[in-house]
Amino acid sequence: MIICVAVVGLQNNPLYIQSFTDGDDALKLHYIVHCSLDVIDERVNNPKKIGSTLNETYLGLLYPSENYKVYGYLTNTKVKFILVTTDEDLKDADVRSFFRQFHAAYVDAVSNPFHVPGKRITSRAFAERVSTIVRSFGTSTTI
Amino acid sequence: MVREVSESCVDSVTMEMVAAYCGRFYANKQELAARRIEAIGYQVGLQLAERYTKERPRFADHLEAIKFICKDFWSELFKKQIDNLKTNHRGTFVLQDNRFRWLTRISLDSPLPTANGSPKESSTTSNDAKSAQAAGMHLYFPCGIIRGALTNLGVPCQVSAEVANLPACSFVIRIKG
Repeated sequence: MIICVAVVGLQNNPLYIQSFTDGDDALKLHYIVHCSLDVIDERVNNPKKIGSTLNETYLGLLYPSENYKVYGYLTNTKVKFILVTTDEDLKDADVRSFFRQFHAAYVDAVSNPFHVPGKRITSRAFAERVSTIVRSFGTSTTI
Repeated sequence: MVREVSESCVDSVTMEMVAAYCGRFYANKQELAARRIEAIGYQVGLQLAERYTKERPRFADHLEAIKFICKDFWSELFKKQIDNLKTNHRGTFVLQDNRFRWLTRISLDSPLPTANGSPKESSTTSNDAKSAQAAGMHLYFPCGIIRGALTNLGVPCQVSAEVANLPACSFVIRIKG
């Protein structure tokens, strides 16, 4: 189950963060998202250490903690998407397809002429679309 | 889901935008009008860059980003690629388009034949100057688009345009820093 998604901008400024839990652990999730930014930086600056596919937008599993797994995605415009989940065994294809849909939603949101580039995304349509994507996560493996 | 836009509508909008800014809003301040048009292009470029790079790996260096502008980005916008790319390898790139789509609809009075029956050298040069002036205003928008797209891809730059003879034109990109 996805418990948090976040969009982080060029200067590591939060653009959008949304948790999908009932409890008030928003602060903890913010902390997890923050930590993962360092991991992203490290991966992007030392791509040889990973040795995997060069400059792919999908960064894969960033780090596992006791309860969560954190996945990352970095667009060409240096905007980061972060996904926090509690699932133990996730298929890579599922995560990739999630990020692809999420990216499409993000692009549509920032193409709104009323959106100011580099500012928080406040669009309600975007929030609804994100929750739809999150709800459908893992239910279908079609790409 | 692929959405398409009528080409003639885009032509009308871009031409009318230039006409409105130069002729009505800032009739006496052409420089300010140019800046405003460029700013609109900048935002369009930012958004288009995000959209068109969605399915591709990240760029390793500036040259790759500029090649992307010449090939894929230009194809998406104008259904053709940039015809010629030149660089001095020190941060300046010249993108030449031999038939820039947004200039193909601009027409000028043909030079009047002189008494000898053939146009004189001087009249063709003045015609060139006139075409450059008329087309110049229409090039601030695409300049803004290029600057916006490159800035969003992490290449801060300045873009200017030059017109040689319609509808050919070239865009000069100077990378900052």
